[in-house]
Amino acid sequence: MSAADERRVSDPLDLEAPPGQARVVTADDRDEAPARGGPGADPQGRGRDDSEKLDQYLLRRYHLHGDRRAREQLITMYLPLVRSLARRYASRGEHFDDLVQVGAIGLIKAIDRFDLSRGVELTTYATPNIVGEIKRYFRDKGWSVRVPRGLQELNIRLNKIIDELVPKLQRAPTINELAEAASATPEEVLEALETSQAYNSVSLQASPNGEGGEDDAGLIDYLGGEEEAYDTMEDRTTLAPGFAKLDKRERYILHLRFFEGQTQSQIAERVGISQMHVSRLIRRSLEKLREEIGELDNPQILRPSGDNPR
Amino acid sequence: MAERIDLEMPATLNALSTVRMVLGGLGARLDFSLDDLDDLYLATDGLLRSALDADPLDRLSVEILIDNGVLRFAAGTFKSAKLRAEVTTYAEGCLDLCMLLRRTIDDVLFEDADGAYRIVLIKRRQDAPA
Repeated sequence: MSAADERRVSDPLDLEAPPGQARVVTADDRDEAPARGGPGADPQGRGRDDSEKLDQYLLRRYHLHGDRRAREQLITMYLPLVRSLARRYASRGEHFDDLVQVGAIGLIKAIDRFDLSRGVELTTYATPNIVGEIKRYFRDKGWSVRVPRGLQELNIRLNKIIDELVPKLQRAPTINELAEAASATPEEVLEALETSQAYNSVSLQASPNGEGGEDDAGLIDYLGGEEEAYDTMEDRTTLAPGFAKLDKRERYILHLRFFEGQTQSQIAERVGISQMHVSRLIRRSLEKLREEIGELDNPQILRPSGDNPR
Repeated sequence: MAERIDLEMPATLNALSTVRMVLGGLGARLDFSLDDLDDLYLATDGLLRSALDADPLDRLSVEILIDNGVLRFAAGTFKSAKLRAEVTTYAEGCLDLCMLLRRTIDDVLFEDADGAYRIVLIKRRQDAPA
């Protein structure tokens, strides 16, 4: 867990506590934490009743007072639930982290739509929302064009096979090697790989509530791990108008591929996603950049540093 | 044994997927790795899109030659000076067509004839089993 995440889940009764003095609250702690403080005992209890559960308290803080930090705490507290539910679907060929991201959208929607007057537990309300979002991801957002089921299944199998073969071979597999491993013909493999370009994924920058205002946090803001790497890269690309259209992960992957000269397989290993996913992201990122050029009719748009035009 | 395939297609974006399917089959026969094949797709897609933007063409001609682990892709003929500049001129730190080709293809050549030219991309098999 990153320092930022620790800060988010630091002692929920002390929203102002410096991180160094804070206790980390886990999902298991939730039932115990509200025992501190008494009725009306703010400092730090801020008007909570003894019997009130921590999540109810945070929900009230968010819904009645607009406290976005309380919302963030709730999201962080319930991410283990999202992970647990996402794990059930991890065997279907999608990257586990992607499912967690999608599930987190369901969690955030549940938190935002929670009705305090109903008197139900957040877990009860959030679970079907999270599962629903994951199922919707598979059902609606998975394939943007109609792809025959057999090819979809082969594509999913290939995804797994590539992930297994790359470390084993220490290089990207060939089409023939994939065909042999998948008990398919090279033509079928090529067709299945081509159809993978019709497969969508949720952007890490997508606003969880789908509104996308300037101040809205993207999903990536709630999930640690790779974000630090995106931020610390020497990324002049972030300054260019064309590249600004790309999310952090897309910029990072283009940077690794074209400025550091890494192969797709190396990038896949470094970023922690599949080679096929890297391939899709590169193709789509280049597509976005081309669209930008088309709209602005300015070849310099692809220029990351914005200085010394050719 | 060398093998040559000639494609002549209407100069539209639909031609790109035709080219990709042919390249996929040939790349598989050459035992290109998945990474190399993807690079080949990116390079040819990028080149042909730029060509379609830069040159008012009715037809697009592509010649693909495979021989001894090498794939030679020739497209043209073109007359656009802009396209030629896009392929040849590299600016440091700039992700343009030139940079894309440098990172994905082993060699880029021009074949000049009668004031027009063809662009040739060469991709060699790498890291694949002998």
